[in-house]
Amino acid sequence: MVISQLFILSSRGDHLIYKDRGEADRDVIDTFYEKVTALKGDQPPVVMNHKDLHFVHVKQGGLYWVATTTADSSPFTIIEFLNLAALVKDFCGGISEKAVQMNFALIYELLDEVLDHGYIQTTSSDILKNFIQTEAVSSRTFSLFDLSNVGLFGAETQQSKVAPGSAATRPIQSSREQGGKSEIFVDVIERMSVVIGSNGVLMKADVEGEIRVKCYMPNCSMRIGLNEEFCIGKAQVRYGAAVRVDECSFHQMVQLEEFDSHRILRLCPTQGEQTVMQYQLRDELPAPLPFRLFPTIERDPAGLLMYLKLRCDLPPKSAINVSIFIPVPKGSVLSQELSSPDQNAELQQQNRAVVWRIPRFSGGTQLSALFKSQLDVPALSSASMLELGPVALTFELPKLTATGLLIRFLRLTPVQPGTPQRWVRYVTHSDSYVIRI
Amino acid sequence: MTDSKYFTTTKKGEIFELKAELNSDKKEKKKEAVKKVIASMTVGKDVSALFPDVVNCMQTDNLELKKLVYLYLMNYAKSQPDMAIMAVNTFVKDCEDPNPLIRALAVRTMGCIRVDKITEYLCEPLRKCLKDEDPYVRKTAAVCVAKLHDINAQLVEDQGFLDTLKDLISDSNPMVVANAVAALSEIAESHPNSNLLDLNPQTINKLLTALNECTEWGQIFILDCLANYTPRDDRESQSICERVTPRLSHANSAVVLSAVKVLMKFMEMLPKDLDYYGTLLKKLAPPLVTLLSAEPELQYVALRNINLIVQRRPEILKHEMKVFFVKYNDPIYVKLEKLDIMIRLASQANIAQVLAELKEYATEVDVDFVRKAVRAIGRCAIKVEQSAERCVSTLLDLIQTKVNYVVQEAIVVIKDIFRKYPNKYESVIATLCENLDSLDEPEARAAMIWIVGEYAERIDNADELLESFLEGFHDESTQVQLQLLTAIVKLFLKKPTETQELVQQVLSLATQDSDNPDLRDRGYIYWRLLSTDPVAAKEVVLAEKPLISEETDLIEPTLLEELICHIGTLASVYHKPPSAFVEGSRGVQHKRLPGSAGSGESVESPDTGSAAGVPDAPPAVIPSQGDLLGDLLNLDLTPPATSGPPPPATSGLQLGAMDLLGGGLDSLMGDESEPLGGDLGGGSAMGAGFGAPPAATAAPFSAPVSGGLDDLFDLGGGVGMPMGAYSPPKTVWLPAMKGKGLEISGTFARRGGVIQMEMTLTNKAMSVMTDFAIQFNRNSFGLAPAGPLQVLTPLSPNQSIEVSLPLSTVGPVMKMDPLNNLQVAVKNNIDVFYFSCQYPISMLFVEDGKMERQVFLATWKDIPNDNEAQFQIKDCHLSSDAASSKLQGSNIFTIAKRTVDGQDMLYQSVKLSNGIWVLAELRVQTGNPIFTVCLKCRAPEVSQCVFQSYEAVLKN
Repeated sequence: MVISQLFILSSRGDHLIYKDRGEADRDVIDTFYEKVTALKGDQPPVVMNHKDLHFVHVKQGGLYWVATTTADSSPFTIIEFLNLAALVKDFCGGISEKAVQMNFALIYELLDEVLDHGYIQTTSSDILKNFIQTEAVSSRTFSLFDLSNVGLFGAETQQSKVAPGSAATRPIQSSREQGGKSEIFVDVIERMSVVIGSNGVLMKADVEGEIRVKCYMPNCSMRIGLNEEFCIGKAQVRYGAAVRVDECSFHQMVQLEEFDSHRILRLCPTQGEQTVMQYQLRDELPAPLPFRLFPTIERDPAGLLMYLKLRCDLPPKSAINVSIFIPVPKGSVLSQELSSPDQNAELQQQNRAVVWRIPRFSGGTQLSALFKSQLDVPALSSASMLELGPVALTFELPKLTATGLLIRFLRLTPVQPGTPQRWVRYVTHSDSYVIRI
Repeated sequence: MTDSKYFTTTKKGEIFELKAELNSDKKEKKKEAVKKVIASMTVGKDVSALFPDVVNCMQTDNLELKKLVYLYLMNYAKSQPDMAIMAVNTFVKDCEDPNPLIRALAVRTMGCIRVDKITEYLCEPLRKCLKDEDPYVRKTAAVCVAKLHDINAQLVEDQGFLDTLKDLISDSNPMVVANAVAALSEIAESHPNSNLLDLNPQTINKLLTALNECTEWGQIFILDCLANYTPRDDRESQSICERVTPRLSHANSAVVLSAVKVLMKFMEMLPKDLDYYGTLLKKLAPPLVTLLSAEPELQYVALRNINLIVQRRPEILKHEMKVFFVKYNDPIYVKLEKLDIMIRLASQANIAQVLAELKEYATEVDVDFVRKAVRAIGRCAIKVEQSAERCVSTLLDLIQTKVNYVVQEAIVVIKDIFRKYPNKYESVIATLCENLDSLDEPEARAAMIWIVGEYAERIDNADELLESFLEGFHDESTQVQLQLLTAIVKLFLKKPTETQELVQQVLSLATQDSDNPDLRDRGYIYWRLLSTDPVAAKEVVLAEKPLISEETDLIEPTLLEELICHIGTLASVYHKPPSAFVEGSRGVQHKRLPGSAGSGESVESPDTGSAAGVPDAPPAVIPSQGDLLGDLLNLDLTPPATSGPPPPATSGLQLGAMDLLGGGLDSLMGDESEPLGGDLGGGSAMGAGFGAPPAATAAPFSAPVSGGLDDLFDLGGGVGMPMGAYSPPKTVWLPAMKGKGLEISGTFARRGGVIQMEMTLTNKAMSVMTDFAIQFNRNSFGLAPAGPLQVLTPLSPNQSIEVSLPLSTVGPVMKMDPLNNLQVAVKNNIDVFYFSCQYPISMLFVEDGKMERQVFLATWKDIPNDNEAQFQIKDCHLSSDAASSKLQGSNIFTIAKRTVDGQDMLYQSVKLSNGIWVLAELRVQTGNPIFTVCLKCRAPEVSQCVFQSYEAVLKN
């Protein structure tokens, strides 16, 4: 249960922050760095050990956040705790090597309150605010311009799974002094996992979603209203266009008195970012699938002829950053015909896959592509046909939730002086969208 | 102006400049200077020279500056202990500050300064802070007790801080409770026997109340603490489960896992027919599934835990197969774990779905994953019989791809399928043989060779195929060599006429041209078998193989139970018990699951395994990779049906076998035993057993003739013991594995004033054992054999003999650890074996151990109180009189008895064989099953042993 050491390293291995229980040895920092950089891709990086020390780390903002322990501690606790990165981000306004260096006094002060003798005390920014004396030093002045593209999410969100929301780079405490802009962001983020069988049958369709609140307002309490017809579990069936999820979990601070009757979440968000609700839906989508693929594959003496028709069923909305990965037999050479010039396609030899990219795909339309793949192997065996597919898609669907979950209203109490800015944003990402052919 | 500039100054004179700035009058300047100092400290520069100047800044009312100075102090106090004392006064003063933040800060920082001198000053402020009116200060002080305990455990006990800490469990503030629990849990770990965290229904209730109110991290501390509690009955168990279940929907995965751990453990106590049991099972699935939507790091850790849970209670997730289907963008380590769980959950109901998935996986890009997927198809075939046919045809499809590693994996798993369903799928052998040339991995080659050998009679050109392997025999790995040897012997036994040359070739390659002892041994065994009795050989080598079990790679049940108790911790990720990786494994107790309710009936559904420690015999052999023949050698050797002269076909081999036996073997054994035997002075007849004519060595193969002799020698055993004297049951001291077939079990007894070492020697080897001798190492009480070990007749295979060896107490003395440890060497014609055993110290209690009353009183007073040791004996349901007479039987004499307030106090004395007196006070409360023993002795180190004897005697 006990964390022996905690340190933050830059991606080059420079020591930025270090704290221990008193008995530990600092040399292990370098040992850790050697180990983590020597790690191969197929090894689980989660827990590593050196003699009787166990390292647990996460990489956030290009920094290694590492905790060590000598006891049989819980890696869950430690990984959840290393979410500390988010806390540091809230207090310092961002995490980068520079931000950490500039704010080291603040971070040490935070760590002192967060971790006492290796026991985690609290990670709630609301409580911590009362204890922290040091002012954050912002690496970049906050500009309103960053807020202008609300609703669009950053491009690398596929991996990090968290919409970074460019509005979020300012320290929470500065609002206290500046009396600055009061703002609240509520993001509904969903991730789809879909498998469509080779016969076109939907084999699996799961959605994981969460509601995140990012708050730049002291002492506010808010009510978030969800669709009234929102229901949980399989047993509850209501008439009409019900929005259904299988499972739902809430952040500790959410009060649920009004949830059962009116689907209202009541909470006093702490300043900074938090996930207030998580939910899953399995094996049932309320709307038609966003993408359907109609492949025609012909074998001819020269190689493979793949004619792909991809249909997007999202009217009136559209998808962005769509990529289609088509694994092809080893040794293929490609020629292509695409239906419009803004698309592109290339063959990635090391993954033996064709990647077809579509930057913007309007709902209700259909695109097609013709790939000719020539094999340098003389005869195409039925065995190498097995290497073809499955096709995987990645995409973003802005302003849309797959479950149909919507925020009905967002009310703040007490009524704030001035008009607080309230933003509600929706996005659905592909998590794993696979079409077998 | 930003902090980053602090990192840039590296010039000389820097320390000098800082010194000046630290002593500046301006507060801002001071603060900046301290920040610079700490920045240098962080990057590893030595700024300890500034210690006095920084400490001077400590007395300030600026909280930010104070915090910075404290930070510096923590780091350098250790290297400057004398200077650190300078800071003590400020600390003590700050502990009295009206601002609770400062009080807490001071007590927190003081605890972090690991300097002995400071700890003396810490006690008083700490005591005050533990009772502070502000919960923030109390919770900080609670942690400080743990810090102080780390530095000086004795001090913490002496000052009574532990009791205060226990009181804090009932604090009104949940944060304080959580920290007190955390601190106590850690301190209790270093005192495994202490009753620090005395969990009873009242404290549990308090903890459960605090659970609802405290932070997520506090909840983890409390849940982990709850997991160590053993409820009294299934009702209590259920009520705790009911109050813990809401934690399953917490957003923090660590809270969820800690709750799962508590529930998995307490569920053991619930009767399975209870409605609530079913409800609970249903509630456990969703949170586990939810964990899989976390980031890959957490997913991996979660999957490792789910793997354990699925092995223990597959019913929880049996409907959730789909969530374990891999996503194309999962990292490989997540994919592999998911695959493993998919196999464990595979059943007749979902096999079609699983198989369809696996087939898709088998054509992916990643080699490791594809291999494992192919292997998984084979495991499905073995697990779900109805699917076997479909699995085999899937595997054949995959072999057609000719992708090298796919083919090889497929062949390895098809071999297992053949073993599970013999004579069913042999039609595919032809397809397999086509791929013979492409196999380059030892495992696949070995599997293919096994298949050819096993089905030699159906493969026309089996001899050619095997011969082709034989050409490069010496370049093959051991695995392949062993397999080839066995396969050719099988072939020979099936088609003796055509393959005689081949078998001779392989036998000579294995025995004469190889340096590998395993290969040579196996070669010799076959050679001897074939030369003595080919009929027997046929029965042995071609015997029906035991079926392989359905589940592979299962974690052994006792380890699994222990790991279930450690769900959510590192142990559950490594799949190793904590003792295997936690330093010193100090007082690590192997945790066990509590027994199920209604313990009378041991009828448990087989899928859940044994509840509490009754080890299940594995239902069938689990195939371990690369050792197909292991089971062959373990088969019972049945006597041959005919014992006529060997058929002429093998007579040519007979000669060779003789030669081999007469040759190097016995001289080899003789050499080996010399240095070892010298010590015992009995090297005389060494090697004699092996010099015997080959007939003798061959004997075990023909028939265990001497089996019937057992009864004759049994006479010596079972001599009745005098009533009362306690002698523990025999335990195995030397297992046959370590004794080259000799098993020794034994115990100690005291009869008529003589200590007897009673042993059962069992010969589990195949040859006769003779020339036994015994010797002891020096030990704490000078125990030594009073005569030679009386084993008059040779010990035949499968025979055992009871020996009683009288012991004297006049041998050389050396203090052992533990005190009653005895190291023994036993020699026979084969080797010298060493083992150690522990004797109950009650064997040393002499008959004239009754002390005079007056002497007793005087001695009791005379022995200093420091030498007093107190123990508790639990669950003892004897009256004081019965206890007294029972103890008397083992020479523990009651001198006086006193009754105060319904509590009997027996005063007792014991004399050890070396003249040490032990005085005892035994307190027995009528109706209370807990006895208290107070021992006083001039040599207090014996107390622990004497207490163990007390407990053993009273409980038997």
